[in-house]
Amino acid sequence: MEGIGINLPLLLAFVINFVILFTLLGIFLYKPVLKMLDERQAKIKDSMEQAEQIKEQAAHSEEQIKAHLETARKEGQAIIAQATQIGERLKEEAKEGARQEAESLMAKARTEIQRDRDKTIEELRQEFVDIAILAAEKVINETLDREKHRKLIGEVLEENTTFKQS
Amino acid sequence: MQRMGCGCSTKILILSSIFLLTLLVIGLISGPLGSALLNIEAPSILQLPKPHVELPPEGIFHIAGFTITNTLIASWLTIIVLVTLFYACTRKMKLIPGRLQGLAEMVVEMLLNFVEGAAGKKQARTLFPVVATIFLYVLINAYLALLPFYGTIGIAENDGTFVPLFRAANTDINLPLSIALMSFIFVEYWGLRSLGFLRYLNTFFNFGQLRDGITSLAKGKIRPAISGLMLGFINLFVGTLEVFSHLIRIVSFTFRLFGNMTAGEILLLVVCFLVPLIATIPFYGLELLIGFIQALIFAGLTLVFGIIALAPHAEEEQTT
Repeated sequence: MEGIGINLPLLLAFVINFVILFTLLGIFLYKPVLKMLDERQAKIKDSMEQAEQIKEQAAHSEEQIKAHLETARKEGQAIIAQATQIGERLKEEAKEGARQEAESLMAKARTEIQRDRDKTIEELRQEFVDIAILAAEKVINETLDREKHRKLIGEVLEENTTFKQS
Repeated sequence: MQRMGCGCSTKILILSSIFLLTLLVIGLISGPLGSALLNIEAPSILQLPKPHVELPPEGIFHIAGFTITNTLIASWLTIIVLVTLFYACTRKMKLIPGRLQGLAEMVVEMLLNFVEGAAGKKQARTLFPVVATIFLYVLINAYLALLPFYGTIGIAENDGTFVPLFRAANTDINLPLSIALMSFIFVEYWGLRSLGFLRYLNTFFNFGQLRDGITSLAKGKIRPAISGLMLGFINLFVGTLEVFSHLIRIVSFTFRLFGNMTAGEILLLVVCFLVPLIATIPFYGLELLIGFIQALIFAGLTLVFGIIALAPHAEEEQTT
């Protein structure tokens, strides 16, 4: 053993050296670096997860926006359809109103005309009766009872008109 | 630019190879090998003292009866180099590493991958510091020993012998022995810690059958008593062998590293003596390789023994 130099104090010194190195490397190398590696790993994992989450969120909101757009489009279409319907109805109503008014106007006009004509005819008839009485007076030269005359002529005219109408 | 640099470097390559070749020839002819073969006297500058191999480390000075040897100084130097380097690397740790921090992280990550590859993620953190320390210590001991000031700067004693101030620390048998002892202590500690004293003892000695044999003997059953006692004694013998195999690990660790490193040192000495110039360079390359391999083997075997010591524990954890 002496030949290759095994020496207890020296061996102890080397053991102490190893322990010192082990401790110092533990403090200065392994602990900080391992901590940093773990930290970085955790951080990367976090970031990846976050990115995934954000991606998911983006997809979600995109879907939501799409849905919103779809509903908005549908609503718009519904509104347009409704508006068209209302317009149609209004047009219809206006047409109807106009027609009714025209009709009523026409009816009114017709009754007016009828009335005017009746009145005119009546007047004409009066006039005619008066003229006829006057003429008859002149022709006959005899004063008849005015009332009788009138009645007589009225009867004649009545016959005439009935005759005309039939 | 590229072509110019290329032409330039070709010229330099040719010139330098001619220069190196000349040096090699000079070394061959005028070195001890050439002078012995060709019977010419070497120039005095190339005459080297005959290499003399000293297996025990040489003492440099004494403090209170304790001899500080050149190998001890070399191992201190290794510790100083390692600690200073990694202290500088990890002084300011940042999430985004700089160059020095990157170096430290690269070293740690490489070793951690090595340990995790063999031991798995869970046990790697237990085994890692010891394995990494052994690897770095052995490797830097071996590599520093290849620097020029090792074995050259020293003290000339009165009786004409020369004592170098630094000598490759791995070539002192006390150093491999100390690492082997530490490795042994850690392996046994891991085994004890993961199993507890009695169960760890049980992995060596299986007393079960011996106990069965004794109880059957007490009950008067002869046949089971005999077979139980027989098996019990065989188990005892196997356990003793197991204990020896653990102890032998220390010896094999020690002599593997010591032998390899000492042989490398002697090889370099002899080659330097025989052909003083150039021819030693490939051997230095070889020594780089051997230093790395020895460090890896020492660390790797410690790792494997550690895994074996922790293994029953891990199996248990997996089953529960």
